[in-house]
Amino acid sequence: MMKPVYISAAAALSPQHSFDADGFLPDVVSSNNGKLYVQDTDYSKFINPVAIRRMSRMLKIGISTGMRTMQLAGIETPDGIITGTGRGSMRDMELFLGDMIRLQEEALNPTYFIQSTYNSINGWLAMQTKCTGYNQTYVHRGHSLEVALLDAQMLLNENEAKQTYLVGCFDEMTEDYFVVKNKAHYWKKTLPDSQHLLQHSDTNGTIGGEGAAFFTITNDAANAICSIEQMTMLQEPTPQTVQATIDSILAEKGMRLKDLDMVLCGMSGDARYQPLYQPILENTTAHTTVAAFKHLCGEYDTSTGFALWLATRLFTAQTIPEVLIQKKGINPTIGNILVVNHYPQGTASILLLSTNK
Amino acid sequence: MEDLKLTLKQQIIESLNLQGMTPADIDDNAPLFGEGLGLDSIDSLEMMVLLERNYGIKIEDAREGRKVLESVASMADYIAQNRKI
Repeated sequence: MMKPVYISAAAALSPQHSFDADGFLPDVVSSNNGKLYVQDTDYSKFINPVAIRRMSRMLKIGISTGMRTMQLAGIETPDGIITGTGRGSMRDMELFLGDMIRLQEEALNPTYFIQSTYNSINGWLAMQTKCTGYNQTYVHRGHSLEVALLDAQMLLNENEAKQTYLVGCFDEMTEDYFVVKNKAHYWKKTLPDSQHLLQHSDTNGTIGGEGAAFFTITNDAANAICSIEQMTMLQEPTPQTVQATIDSILAEKGMRLKDLDMVLCGMSGDARYQPLYQPILENTTAHTTVAAFKHLCGEYDTSTGFALWLATRLFTAQTIPEVLIQKKGINPTIGNILVVNHYPQGTASILLLSTNK
Repeated sequence: MEDLKLTLKQQIIESLNLQGMTPADIDDNAPLFGEGLGLDSIDSLEMMVLLERNYGIKIEDAREGRKVLESVASMADYIAQNRKI
């Protein structure tokens, strides 16, 4: 059986004021064009000014989030860097491919090519933190972050000595991506205000999103925000397999459904996937708060990262912003959170987080 | 030649995204790499692309490339003698 690992610091750049703002989700940001974009920050605080001029927005977002996490953890060099991304640097890739067609594969700018590779952010983070240890980027669509977390957990489980890995995720939305996915019926035809997305769960489609979230993951329980007790990935999830997996995770930890303080759900306002969350809404007891997050960050491959960041903030703040709540529980404290999330290409993940050391 | 140097400086600033710089900030004879503008190896690749795309010049020999890319003045001289477009 895998041993738990611990989150000691977390940072997120998201469509909400999650990075520099005081307080917890102050001034909720919404949009009515079906897209939620990351709130930019002053990237020059985290990146060498000579290097920054060549970087795309995705690189700046990912590197800044990783560096901020390291600052919060008080660590200069991690033992390794592990990330997950569903799409990598889309904008640079689109520019490079566009130039290939426009210039008939002649005189192509090298920068777009170099920086559009999936592991560019890891490379930059390694250089900035002088980390010569393990370095890996997973590109597994809706399970990208989860596989990165699993890799970190396996590495940490192998070691008795204290180790800390920088683990994160990043994905960006471009206009072309939005157009292509629209053809695959990802988005809602009638676009609601994003804050009210979940009130439109009777129609197909959702809204697009993007973001980056990084965590320092360690095998040292001291000073941890929370532990990742269990994580399970599902392919082609159904309401039955989601419920069975939750039951199995809880049984393994000697818990029952009524012991959950909060379930943080990735319901996206899409009628096709709403049934995955129905058992949670129906079966959780009065003790448990059911919350949601995709009306704040939109749908993207690694949105579990935003949920994990939210969970760390919920544990430290011990208050639940009204904007998250779908069904309010009577329990006043948050000692554990079950994160349940899906991505439209047939994946889902379930993570049990706890503050019990 | 002065017009060519000015155009070249504008193209360098744009293609290398030298934020906050103007053509007046680039000395004609100052080295582009190292102490001068502080450009690096990826910038040299970008400038090779700039020469090919805007002037039809392809430099195959790395040693020749190093000489050509020494400064704005050396680039302008080479362009004046070898441009195809």
